[in-house]
Amino acid sequence: MIITTSLYDQLSALYADKETAANEGFSRLRAAAFDSFSANGFPTAKNEEWRFTPVAPFLKEAYHFQPAADAVSDGGMADLSALDAYEVVLNNGAPGKLPSIPGVKISALRDVLNSPAPQAYLGQSISLSQSSFAALNTALFSDGLLIEVEKNTVVDKPVLITHAYNAAWPFFAQPRLLVVAHRSSKLEFIERYVVDGQQALFVNSVTECFVAENARVDQYNLQVTPPNFHLVNFTQVSQRADSLYNNHTYTLPGASLVRNNLHLDLQASNTESHLYGLYLAGGRQLVDNHTLVNHANPHCFSNELYKGVLADAARAVFNGKIMVQLDAQKTNAFQQNNNMLLSDKAVVDSKPQLEIFADDVKCSHGSTLGSFDESSLFYLKARGIGESSARNMLVKAFAFDVTRQMPLAAVRDCVEALITEKMESLYEPA
Amino acid sequence: MENNNSNEILDDYIDKEYEFGFVTDIEMEVAPKGLSEETIHYISAKKEEPEWLKEWRLKAYQSFLKQPEPHWQNFELPNVDFQAISYYAAPKSGAKYKSLDEVDPALLETFEKLGIPLSEQKLLAGVAVDAVFDSVSVATTFKETLKEQGIIFCSISEAVKEHPELVKKYLGSVVPYSDNLYASLNAAVFSDGSFVYIPKGVRCPMELSTYFRINTQNTGQFERTLIIADEGSYVSYLEGCTAPKRDENQLHAAVVELIALENAEIKYSTVQNWYPGDKDGKGGIYNFVTKRGVCKGANAKISWTQVETGSAITWKYPSVILQGDNSSGEFYSVAVTRNKQVADTGTKMFHIGKNTRSRIISKGISAGEGQNTYRGLVQVGTRAENARNFTQCDSLLIGDRCGAHTFPYIESKNNTAMIEHEATTSKIGEDQLFYLNQRGIETEKAVALIVNGYAREVLNQLPMEFAVEAQKLLSISLEGSVG
Repeated sequence: MIITTSLYDQLSALYADKETAANEGFSRLRAAAFDSFSANGFPTAKNEEWRFTPVAPFLKEAYHFQPAADAVSDGGMADLSALDAYEVVLNNGAPGKLPSIPGVKISALRDVLNSPAPQAYLGQSISLSQSSFAALNTALFSDGLLIEVEKNTVVDKPVLITHAYNAAWPFFAQPRLLVVAHRSSKLEFIERYVVDGQQALFVNSVTECFVAENARVDQYNLQVTPPNFHLVNFTQVSQRADSLYNNHTYTLPGASLVRNNLHLDLQASNTESHLYGLYLAGGRQLVDNHTLVNHANPHCFSNELYKGVLADAARAVFNGKIMVQLDAQKTNAFQQNNNMLLSDKAVVDSKPQLEIFADDVKCSHGSTLGSFDESSLFYLKARGIGESSARNMLVKAFAFDVTRQMPLAAVRDCVEALITEKMESLYEPA
Repeated sequence: MENNNSNEILDDYIDKEYEFGFVTDIEMEVAPKGLSEETIHYISAKKEEPEWLKEWRLKAYQSFLKQPEPHWQNFELPNVDFQAISYYAAPKSGAKYKSLDEVDPALLETFEKLGIPLSEQKLLAGVAVDAVFDSVSVATTFKETLKEQGIIFCSISEAVKEHPELVKKYLGSVVPYSDNLYASLNAAVFSDGSFVYIPKGVRCPMELSTYFRINTQNTGQFERTLIIADEGSYVSYLEGCTAPKRDENQLHAAVVELIALENAEIKYSTVQNWYPGDKDGKGGIYNFVTKRGVCKGANAKISWTQVETGSAITWKYPSVILQGDNSSGEFYSVAVTRNKQVADTGTKMFHIGKNTRSRIISKGISAGEGQNTYRGLVQVGTRAENARNFTQCDSLLIGDRCGAHTFPYIESKNNTAMIEHEATTSKIGEDQLFYLNQRGIETEKAVALIVNGYAREVLNQLPMEFAVEAQKLLSISLEGSVG
């Protein structure tokens, strides 16, 4: 069934316009992507991957595809001024002034669409039929960022990408990021969001990240946004032999809808990947994290730790899938999801999923769901610590378990400070 | 050095033929093939059923027609031609025996081969057997003893005649006729099954047990079991099956409904060893069963234990609806798949009442090209204060072409709930094998030992009489399997 919102029709019209103006090497990919989107439409609850995440209510706004306003970036809610980084600002999806980084090609995607890297990598690893939103982005994205790290280059400072949004009316944005780390290179990049104005914003972003042989990429995603913000994020990572990829995704109270899709494709052996996530949700927020780690080759290691703290009437969805293909012997794959519910209206739907076709593997997953541990609370109170401080302490202990996995101290401090601050507004002791 | 040997043993094991395959030659009365309203009228008339039951069957049939085939399962659904099945088969020699002497000797021999010497049942350690041979109950033993305590243990067709008020009240109350495609089919055409009622405060003095057996080619078996434990009562029920070897697929779509009222406890154990098909996956039983229990009153308890070694496809989720406060549900399962067998099994625990507890232990063993799926749901409703769940699902892989999959769903709407889920997948540890080898235990025995230990937690839940059979089954299906 296809939701035929006016948005769907608008998008079709937009695509028709664009098609006539197309003058780039991607028309075939875009056409396939658009066909896939029009066939599947926006996902409904009947789609197993979207069972707990109804998007239709968020698509009702009369969205425009042009912001008709300039984004202003003044750092926003995630203060990273302590971080020494190369900075890039994407104003409503279009890159502003670009830094020059030795050994790194960094450009606005629209200017380089016909150059070798996008031609070789863009849209190559995403299964369009599996993800309607990613297909839509592929069909219609107009700009974004390309970061290409040359081989044997260790980028000395992290790259901080600020997505700044401000629109005069409800705005539907589709930014695209392409990150290519060539052989034996190293890159750290951080994404954060700055939102001005009160208009509804729907961001459907796609990031593709290629980690070549012996390369290392660390990706940070800090999602601290106001309630008028809606995010559907699709990250596709392809790892070649001996590579290392780390992902840190943090979602804090604010955005009404956050859906993160993180797909890891382990295309060669001896790779290592770590996925860390923390979601702290309040109000009527809906935070959904879907991860897929596809072990297609032997001797790969993946580890996943996602934790969630839910207050008020927040809803969280976690779906972690580990696939171990027939040839992927000697796989080590671990996954853990812990949830803490602070309010009796909060809802969690957790689905840790293992699909294993090889026998010589070590795989495990664990999922827990609960509230405060009474004995821990009692222990603290018996030592003269007040109820609310004790509870705060326990929540922090729970959450900082994830944050301490971040090697970049400036980012870690920023996130921990944000958690502490948000906790105070989230949890009102009874 | 071990490797060659292991491969041989492994091949032996994978090639192992079904040990219980044989066909009993008894004259049968069989309904013409096909499914239509006439079929239902035919069955209903044959069984001399009251009007309300026929109406209910017809409603179920309408519901069956409306439902599409499911597609969410983790295997390819074989094409079952519902029109090619005969929906009624009864041994012609008549259905009402008073004593065992009247029973067809060929039939008794069947049970003999299965290791259930019916004639000796009365002398055995207190097991009453309601043996269902295809569709009609042939002999019920120990009935008199049970009757003294007011316990009703009979075939469901008999219950319809003699206790219509109980059947009418509870039939379809846990698994409604519109529940799913196969449950609707069962409701429309169910031929027979067992009915148990335990009166208030009675502790059933013996394990009740039924042995099912599919005979006659192309007769799908549609058993319906209804167990009601009234306030403060206790019953343990055993179900076990072996089926003769057949080349054609046979559909088994049973429905089991359990109702536990206040302070009652029902323990339901299954050992399932239907014909699994040959090593190329040809033939074998499709075991699509809907099993569900409801803890209707406070402090009620329902426990499912299953050992699944047979069937080409096993597809069932014995579930518990924890409606009463302080009620508890348990699910213990061992599922073994080898050759091209598929098992998609697990449980659903619906926490509705306060202080409800559930415990799920699932042990999957996959060998050859077997695929084992655990699919579970733990749902905590807004009213279910202090609900508690613990889930453990482990998978053991033997051979490099098998698969183990887990699809746990955890849905909580209450922050006082405590839910834990853990799962592991691995093969038999080389170090464990080495340790046992080093102590003079040969590899084959070591594997059996490890697997038995692995499944121990579940096997321990089985009643004595069954545990022996289950252990035998496990060792037959797993002897010589080396990781």
